[in-house]
Amino acid sequence: MSLNIKNSILILIFFILQIIWFNHIMLFGKYIPIIYIYPILLLPIEKNDTINLLLAFIYGISIDLASNTGGVFAATAVLVVYLRKIYFLIIKNPSQDLEKIQVSKLSSGQKLIYYLIFILISQFFIYFIEAFGIELVWQKTSVILINSLITLIFFILIDVLFVNRHRQ
Amino acid sequence: MFKIIRFLTAQKSFMLFIFLELMSIILIINSHNYAQTKVHSLKTEISGKINRRLSFIEERINLLKHNKELEEQNTRLLNTIHNPLKNEAINLPGQYEFIPGFVISNQYSFSHNNILINRGRKDGVEPEMGVIGTNGIVGIVQKTSKNYAKVLSVLNTDTKINVALKDTNYTGFLVWEGNNPNNFSVIDMPVNAHIKIGDTITTSGVSNIFPKGINIGKIINYKTVAGRKSYKINLISFMDMTGIGPVYIVKNNYKKEIDSLLEIK
Repeated sequence: MSLNIKNSILILIFFILQIIWFNHIMLFGKYIPIIYIYPILLLPIEKNDTINLLLAFIYGISIDLASNTGGVFAATAVLVVYLRKIYFLIIKNPSQDLEKIQVSKLSSGQKLIYYLIFILISQFFIYFIEAFGIELVWQKTSVILINSLITLIFFILIDVLFVNRHRQ
Repeated sequence: MFKIIRFLTAQKSFMLFIFLELMSIILIINSHNYAQTKVHSLKTEISGKINRRLSFIEERINLLKHNKELEEQNTRLLNTIHNPLKNEAINLPGQYEFIPGFVISNQYSFSHNNILINRGRKDGVEPEMGVIGTNGIVGIVQKTSKNYAKVLSVLNTDTKINVALKDTNYTGFLVWEGNNPNNFSVIDMPVNAHIKIGDTITTSGVSNIFPKGINIGKIINYKTVAGRKSYKINLISFMDMTGIGPVYIVKNNYKKEIDSLLEIK
């Protein structure tokens, strides 16, 4: 089941954090990390991910509604959910069952690569879909890369402070 | 690889994925649209309510900064009132009214940014009214709900605002190229305008959205655009677009009259 209590709380917390960070905080000047994908990355991997897709869409559209951004966050959330399945289909052992893979059980290195890939995808995609063109994305590459770095550090901190401690 | 593609396309979730992406794209296109609908009004109201709560801390943090800005603005206004010679009769008497408001959410990282303000239809705010801050222009009202208004920020790569070189009638268009939120460009400024670095660019009053003579920014460099006999000017804005607080919505009492005249043409 995708939507257990832990996931629901995570989604709610990141929903508020993203809106504050996107619309209100001027932390580091122009850098707006796209942190809201964190709970999506932790969703269970399922062969038939209809529920995950719908959940990501509703979650994204709620942020869009609060930020007046149309469907920018929704489009990115849905893309992340879908590409995540392809990513695990490619990296898994042929004998391994897709649904048995758990993000929380990945090694630190595997998790870091997984986070980095999807942070980069979401950051580039969000700027691309918002501007409807690649030209502005190239202009903003340095901002996007710094955003990604801040997001990655933020995710690692959350993992170290809460998720790992919780497991012990 | 083919196996993976076949596996994915054979599933229902692939169709759902495409459908949801298309829905999102339609919503993005609609959000860039100017048309005011009931749905947009509801969206503005919801967004306003959420952000009003979240902006509480931010408002308090920036209180001192905004106080200082208002103090400076007051001094400037007093100087204008008490120096009638400097106070040029540039706008028609009673042409503009100003509705004070406050920014409750502000974006500046995308290419189409918007701002929410805590004034709406019940305060007399309507689409296409200009919004100015303490140090320059902020944007144009795009959509309104009962209590809030969504403002299309000047930080929008599609916006073109008519501006002039201070104290002259040479005009051009203010554009934002999507990079730094405080750097703008002016295009189509005729080459016979005698410009120099440090000169001020102001609103031209041509569009009837902003009154004439509001200072926008200072020229940092310029170049002639080959073959077009015009300047492309880069300027740094006086207004810090990343920290807008108090704003004024500009109501032009003659706008309808002027627009109806233009329509006859």
